[in-house]
Amino acid sequence: MPPTSVVGQLDPAVKNTAGFVLELRNIVKTFGTFTALDDVNFNLKRGEVHALLGENGAGKSTLMNIVCGLYAADSGERLHEGEPVWISNPREAHALGIGMVHQHYKLVKPFSALENIQLENGSGPYRTSLNRIRQKATEISKIIGFEVDLDLPVEQLSISEQQRVEILKILTADARIIILDEPTAVLTDMEAENMFTAMRSLAATGCSVVFVTHKLREAFSFADRITVMRGGKTINTVLPNQLDVTELTTLIVGETVVESVNRSKNIGDPKITLNEISMKRNNGVNAITDLSFQVRSGEIYGIAGIGGNGQNELVAILSGLRKIDTGSIELNDVGRVENATPIELRDLGIVCIHSDRETYGLAYGLNIAENFSISGVLAGEFGSYIKVKHKLIHEATELAIEAYDVRGVRTLNQKAGLLSGGNAQKLVIAREFSREPSIVVAHSPCRGLDVRASSAVHEYLLKARDRGGAVVLISEDLDEILLMSDRIGVMSGGAIVAEFDAPANRNEIGKSMTGHG
Amino acid sequence: MVESTVKNQRNLFQRFNLEVRDHMLAWQQAVLIFGGLLLGLFLSALMLVVAGVGVSDLLNEFIISIFTSSRNINAVLLLSAPLVIVGLSAAIGFKARFWNIGIEGQVIFGAIGATLIANYDIGPDGFRVLLMGLVAALFGMAWIALPMVLRLKLQVNEIISTLLLNYIAFNFLLHLLFGSWKDPITSFPNSKIYDQFERLPKLAGLDFNVSILLALALVIIFVWVLAVSRFGFVLKFVYSNSKMAKSIGINVGVLVACAALASGALSGIAGFTISASIDSRLTQSFFVGYGFLGILIGFLARNNPLLVVLFSVMMAILMVAGQTLQVFYQIPFSMIQLIQATIVICVAASEFFIHHRIRLVK
Repeated sequence: MPPTSVVGQLDPAVKNTAGFVLELRNIVKTFGTFTALDDVNFNLKRGEVHALLGENGAGKSTLMNIVCGLYAADSGERLHEGEPVWISNPREAHALGIGMVHQHYKLVKPFSALENIQLENGSGPYRTSLNRIRQKATEISKIIGFEVDLDLPVEQLSISEQQRVEILKILTADARIIILDEPTAVLTDMEAENMFTAMRSLAATGCSVVFVTHKLREAFSFADRITVMRGGKTINTVLPNQLDVTELTTLIVGETVVESVNRSKNIGDPKITLNEISMKRNNGVNAITDLSFQVRSGEIYGIAGIGGNGQNELVAILSGLRKIDTGSIELNDVGRVENATPIELRDLGIVCIHSDRETYGLAYGLNIAENFSISGVLAGEFGSYIKVKHKLIHEATELAIEAYDVRGVRTLNQKAGLLSGGNAQKLVIAREFSREPSIVVAHSPCRGLDVRASSAVHEYLLKARDRGGAVVLISEDLDEILLMSDRIGVMSGGAIVAEFDAPANRNEIGKSMTGHG
Repeated sequence: MVESTVKNQRNLFQRFNLEVRDHMLAWQQAVLIFGGLLLGLFLSALMLVVAGVGVSDLLNEFIISIFTSSRNINAVLLLSAPLVIVGLSAAIGFKARFWNIGIEGQVIFGAIGATLIANYDIGPDGFRVLLMGLVAALFGMAWIALPMVLRLKLQVNEIISTLLLNYIAFNFLLHLLFGSWKDPITSFPNSKIYDQFERLPKLAGLDFNVSILLALALVIIFVWVLAVSRFGFVLKFVYSNSKMAKSIGINVGVLVACAALASGALSGIAGFTISASIDSRLTQSFFVGYGFLGILIGFLARNNPLLVVLFSVMMAILMVAGQTLQVFYQIPFSMIQLIQATIVICVAASEFFIHHRIRLVK
């Protein structure tokens, strides 16, 4: 195959510019008895940025996995440049110029960025191919404005740089159809914007970009066309200027979901007080420095801030996983608890919803009933040390998934990892809230969740608050903080640097997030 | 150029598409694994036929003579008992992600503990065997305690430390057998023979040794602890996601320690079983093979205690029939190992299809 650079594709003489570069017709895909895609149609124009929108479990990723050859469709037609094609593995997709960046990056961490690109696209002797790929990758980076140090091991690169390596990997393979699965899930707003700008300049060279997302804002700001999927079907393909947020939301969820502000009417006495706590990381640098705040019963205390300013450590401290070096944590009716273990804190009514659900929230390899009941089992609610009562567990789990509207449960013996993000989070909440906690620490509880699931999660936090609980909501999403909080603290450099009463001024908060007030 | 690489006419190879499977029902998994097992047995039989054993001889040695002669059944049961126990030992370790490769060392130390009691006539005669078993369990635990502490306190990889302790245990055994525990009558390097009441007895009225009942009792306890008790329930979380287990309030270190100690105790008991039911004394080589057979059985059984019994009996049949083959058909012992390996590979390979499926593209 002769090398074709990105610049080469600017050539206006490229054939078939008018038609679709990719068209999918009547695609059906089933997993066992479950129909993931039901008669789906999708098309992609040359030089466009196309958003694929939908809730968790709508079939977006499955559809894109079919496009890039990871799954084979049960039936349906695929047209590439107007001609029917078979794609039964990623290699064939490559040959057609289709490349996909998966949500979880597929990089070899100790290898350099360049070697990772070579691993996928290299041919011939090691040195020659490395030099060829370096030249090509550098050239492409220049055109689309990527800055990556190609010689650093991937593990030393930031998340957004790793994503760039993934994108370079498929561009170096001459991809002209680029698929990005939830590209912004792990990026900050700034990084996301840079990434989309690069994608736009790529589209300007004649490539086509599809990005899968459930964030409406992104679809509105960066897409030329939007295709909406729901329940394994394509609902419609629209232009962003044709409709507003509410209309688009209605398309996505099939009903109107609007969250409104709901401030607490019943704020009581202080429940938990953190007094000048400090904690060093293993390398001796302070992660938390003289951090203080107080949360009262019936109050949601929102902690805004850019990620990496000590939020993870704060959650680890409040869940008993890490110990503080100085300072004190007091519960108003118990006393000091800074040395309590995780199980002791739970018994005192403090629960945590961790942002990394896969690591701290659920055991994905175990089933739904086990994941739900573990905290109850530890507390002795389901039998003794000698005998765990599985029948009680099943009954309680059934009630809970009903009460917390956990969907996609075919059987209670199904692995928790098979639940979609939103339903997995509901399962976590069902477990944590089933014992009526008095203090809830929620860290980015809606990360990766769609509109409807987010609003359900918010509902549960409000319920916990209205029951007289104290809620600490830590989030990088300022919209979420402003919507939910009764009082807002801004975290920066491991400390609370400013506090605001709701309703607060968004710009003021933004300023103190970046510039220490 | 691009269009020419993908055609509508596809060759047979291109029509197969490999996909990741979401989940598989338990009975389907069972069928798959037994399919792998049957394939392994079939290939093994084929190899033996090629090596010169006739098909009818094969049937005769492996099935008819094993199950029709009570001597052979006894031999199989006698060998099965310690295999079941080391299989359980490996399984309980694996269940806590504690990779105990030091089963052999703990078997040696368990037998040393039992022999200590026997040699120095500690305790009343009537309870001697019981005491030997208990001390064997304690010695097995003691031999795993060091790697366990190193792993939990200093994150030293237990695969290496338990493995290396095998060699230390072996040399310590030689030290005893060539030194103070040398047989006082024959001066051979083995301990003096156990008294009758220091051996695991044959059951009154029955023909077989009590050791297999001991093994089955341990299987029942194992099933209870893992499937019914709270310990087993919580241990699943330690195995599946230890960070999540910690954050939900499970004391992961204590659970891993319990599992590791249980593994050591079981291996110690296995050592006692071998010397008190098969050899009736401590010999230089009584432990050979049990360590890795235990790991192999634990692996094949996927830590399932009932499958541990099944695979242990299979391995025992293979060993008993293998001895006959060696003597009467001049089949080398390495052939028996080759058969073991073939079975392992076939069963292990079947696991691939639990997580993947091959689809035929129309």
